[in-house]
Amino acid sequence: MKRIAAWLKKQNKYLLVGLIMTGLAVALGLLSLVWTPYSPTAMSSAERFHAPSFRHLFGTDNFGRDIFSRVMQGIGTTVTVSTAIVIISAGAGILVGAVTGYFGGILDEAIMRITDAVNSFPSILLALVVISIMGSGKQNVILSLGIVFAPSYVRIVRSEFIRLRDADYIMRARLMGVSKWRILFVHILPNIFSVFWVSVTIGFNNAILAESGMSYLGVGVQPPDASLGKMLSDAQGYLGRAPWYALAPGLTIVWIVLGFSLLSEGIRRGAISGKREVE
Amino acid sequence: MIRVKNLSVAFDGPEVVKNVSFEIGDGEILGVVGESGSGKSVTALTMMGLVSEGARVTSGEIYYDEELLLKAGTPRDNALYREYLGRKMSMVFQEPMTSLNPTMKVGKQVEEVLSLHEAAIEETQRESTVPSGSAVQSDVKCGEKVPGKKRKQYRERKEARKQKVLEALSSVGLKDVERVYELYPHQLSGGMRQRVMIAMAVILHPGLIVADEPTTALDVTVQNQIIELLKKINQEQNNSLLFITHDLNLARRLCDRILVMQNGCIVEEGITEEIFQNPRGEYTRKLISAVPGRTGKKKKLRKEIGKALVEVRDLSVFYRENANSLFGRTEKKCVVRNADFSVYEGEILGLVGESGCGKTTLSKAILGLNKMITGEVTHHSNAPQMVFQDPYSSLNPSKTVGWLLQEPLRAQGALDPSKAMTEAESRAEAIEMLKRVGLEEKYFDRKPSQLSGGQRQRISIGQALITRPGLVIADEPVSALDVTIQAQILELIRRLQEELGTAFLFISHDINVIYQVSDRIMVMRDGRILEIGETCEVFEHPKDPYTRELLR
Amino acid sequence: MKYLVKKLATLILTLFLVSVLAFLAFQIIPGDVVTSILGTEATPEQAQQLREELGLNKPPLVRYISWAGNVLKGNFGNSYRYSKNMNQMMPVSELIGDKLPVTLSLAFLSMIFIAVIAIPLGVFWARSKNRVLDVILNVGTQTAMAVPSFFLGVLVTYFFGILLRWFSPGRYVSYEKDFWGFVGYLIFPAISVAIPKIAMTARFLRNSMLTEMHADYVRTAYSKGATERQVAYGHVLRNAMMPVVTFLGMIIAEIVAGSIVVEQVFGLPGIGKLLISSISTRDFPVVEILILYITFVVIVVYFLVDVLYRVIDPRISTK
Repeated sequence: MKRIAAWLKKQNKYLLVGLIMTGLAVALGLLSLVWTPYSPTAMSSAERFHAPSFRHLFGTDNFGRDIFSRVMQGIGTTVTVSTAIVIISAGAGILVGAVTGYFGGILDEAIMRITDAVNSFPSILLALVVISIMGSGKQNVILSLGIVFAPSYVRIVRSEFIRLRDADYIMRARLMGVSKWRILFVHILPNIFSVFWVSVTIGFNNAILAESGMSYLGVGVQPPDASLGKMLSDAQGYLGRAPWYALAPGLTIVWIVLGFSLLSEGIRRGAISGKREVE
Repeated sequence: MIRVKNLSVAFDGPEVVKNVSFEIGDGEILGVVGESGSGKSVTALTMMGLVSEGARVTSGEIYYDEELLLKAGTPRDNALYREYLGRKMSMVFQEPMTSLNPTMKVGKQVEEVLSLHEAAIEETQRESTVPSGSAVQSDVKCGEKVPGKKRKQYRERKEARKQKVLEALSSVGLKDVERVYELYPHQLSGGMRQRVMIAMAVILHPGLIVADEPTTALDVTVQNQIIELLKKINQEQNNSLLFITHDLNLARRLCDRILVMQNGCIVEEGITEEIFQNPRGEYTRKLISAVPGRTGKKKKLRKEIGKALVEVRDLSVFYRENANSLFGRTEKKCVVRNADFSVYEGEILGLVGESGCGKTTLSKAILGLNKMITGEVTHHSNAPQMVFQDPYSSLNPSKTVGWLLQEPLRAQGALDPSKAMTEAESRAEAIEMLKRVGLEEKYFDRKPSQLSGGQRQRISIGQALITRPGLVIADEPVSALDVTIQAQILELIRRLQEELGTAFLFISHDINVIYQVSDRIMVMRDGRILEIGETCEVFEHPKDPYTRELLR
Repeated sequence: MKYLVKKLATLILTLFLVSVLAFLAFQIIPGDVVTSILGTEATPEQAQQLREELGLNKPPLVRYISWAGNVLKGNFGNSYRYSKNMNQMMPVSELIGDKLPVTLSLAFLSMIFIAVIAIPLGVFWARSKNRVLDVILNVGTQTAMAVPSFFLGVLVTYFFGILLRWFSPGRYVSYEKDFWGFVGYLIFPAISVAIPKIAMTARFLRNSMLTEMHADYVRTAYSKGATERQVAYGHVLRNAMMPVVTFLGMIIAEIVAGSIVVEQVFGLPGIGKLLISSISTRDFPVVEILILYITFVVIVVYFLVDVLYRVIDPRISTK
């Protein structure tokens, strides 16, 4: 116990609050897979537009469904979808960024042109275009956003590899005769992790925002998959009568995104203070 | 002039300046000598009221001409300091590169000193020249009512300020001052920038100038010029100079009196020559002996010189200028011209030259890291290794010392299976090398971040030597270290060279370091090798005028 | 000069790449355009006729060249969905023409909000030494950055539209009828787009200023006897603004994207709404042109920002 307390004290507050906020959201999302207070789809005309109460934490909607249960399910979708997106885009980013950054050359030049073109285009629009080609649905959302976000990771990983490629200790490793792949993944990769984790948490943010934005526009995850963005757009018509219907999914998105940005701020500051200790 | 009494300064932790007292007399040049972390800069910055906000003055007082500037326990009087800074005391900093605002014309930056103090200076002049202030005041009021006159006055003042700046710029030895006035810092060389800094410091003829390592970032020949300039200003303006440096030789050349600081305390104080002739403190003695001088008798070149390890024949190295131009019309620029020499088995060949002379480019070409070359480089031994200047970037920060020492052995084993070692063998080898470079076994599991600069440099050397290469190229391996550590590392290199028989190509900008360590010397300038020969030969009978300039 | 030429060349290359991608992307999609226009009951002859009319029977390369050629001549083709009347097709240019001003005004208004609020806020924040204020601004901006623009739109609608009744949600005022009414309505969506970006920019400027305040030249300025205020405005601000210029250029793409989503919330008949409806009705000629158009706007802005940066940074402009 004491050890844990000491550990907590050493961590910065950003990291701590971020961990609690995202942790709570992820736990609720996972819980929704096995249990929700009410059935998210059970309608009841008697219980339409109930304001939040102990019976219905977030109130009920126009069909008398329990909003809290539906939000839980929405979190579940958002968390799984954004995790998949981050894995795809970050994985592609590491592979492509490492190779192009370290070796350079024509391949690097070509890939940079493409990432430039992609980056100059608003990401959610690009995702919309990809969706319009592939059609909507969960898998397509994951795939399209995974493709759309990959270039930003390529950029970050690449620039880190370029920075370290000419570092003195890498030059010396080359003189020692260490093989190229070993230099790439054993000598350089561990040194970019702090930068990389920051971009992963930011990536979660972008993924969540894009996913919910697409569902809000009606081109994202489709029913029966629950989604926070879709709930919000449904609720907009009843803003005057039942503001909680819109606030619940909206504030949930803010909660998760804020959690992840605090987390990334925490990691960033941790990395900086760690460096300071070194010096 | 200035009196510092019992000054102690602390940041978060323990005091970094402890009970320091000293005085500077009118027109005196006082040197403060110490290694990094000795508290010399903090003392000066505290005196100037420029120390960062985290610092607390825990005891002591500072007087300027018997007027109290700062006292422990009372908050710093920033308004008082503003009145003094620039006008009665001023400062020259170490990094002329970053100490000037990059987006402001240098002329404007010098002029700022004038405009900041213009009002105050006029007031004192008025007080001293006109006995009754009332007449003048009404005159000024009259002037204010006529906007045309005011504008004219403003323009005249501006013109006068500019004229004064131009004078100051030429007084510090800058040429073509009208043009310099309009330039930005990045358009000037390091030496010119430092001259601008000095112009800024002396323009209002302050009583005290503090110079914090003003020549450390500059080349030797430029360094000499700046020292001469400081001397000249001291004689002409008769102001006091506090000269902070880590370099005893510089202090000796410039200062009347010297303070030696260590760990925040003054450990020795006295007239310059007396300290050098007859140092009382142990630390001072150590410091003086650590300074690479050309005092020790140089032994003759060892007779048993071996075969050539590397032969460099008519080597020229180029780099591409303007590589990102649209149509690929790149110009090749020659950085090293027609280098022709060999490194022999078991010798230390010193390569000396100022920054930008091409020494690093040459070393990279020898290692095959630079492909744009003509001529040839022939190696007669296994792959040469390298030791770099910056101890903080030459070890992979995510690995342990042990891993770093074993990695060359693993790489060797992967390339040549006959040399492959088991984990236990390579571990034993690494520990042996750790001891050889003067570190205990307990360092095996530490990360580089837990080591000091000197310790890191030892690990770098060990890492370079563990596969027993015939040749190691050491590029300024001691330039980033304090003098006492520097002496230890030079000692280590000489010892290892004798024990293992490895040849070194030792590169440095510091001719004294080169003298201490090398058997033979090569002098380089603007990409050309001017002179090559046995150390004592070159030092006693330099052939090239540039070598003579370096040896001055 | 050489730099400008090179930059322009990259700009054109990027546009070309995007145009190829945009065009090709809609050639590989599943589902036949013809069936989607005519419905499943069309006879093969009708389908064939339409195909020839639309030029779909030629190979992709030929079609790309004729399409790109037309675009360069200012002929953007016709919409599949919309028509002027029974026998006249709707040119894409006309379709986009009256929607453009809406989106551009929204983006422009948001940009003004950002510049006017974020820069003073950032400077004030960097100079303030009040710890409580610092925490409030820190938490506030972090939260503002976490709100998606469409939810912000909903919140603005709720507070200003439903609670305060400062505007009537959904009652869009056309700029042709009542320009000031149009601007008055636009203020609310612009706020929704701007708030997260204001938070971002203010934070960025603050951090940039704090970094600069530790620079060596700041110490030099103090050593001349300058006050904190003189140092902040005379030295730090200009240097701190350099990266902010680039940053502002970069968020322009985001503002365009934000505008498109927010149009949906407030029922604004802009490019975004058109894009979403064209995507869901598979009106590809419209989508292709919109993609090209948005890319064009964004990269031209990048280009201008880059040029501006080079002009204001003497380290580059005097090289």
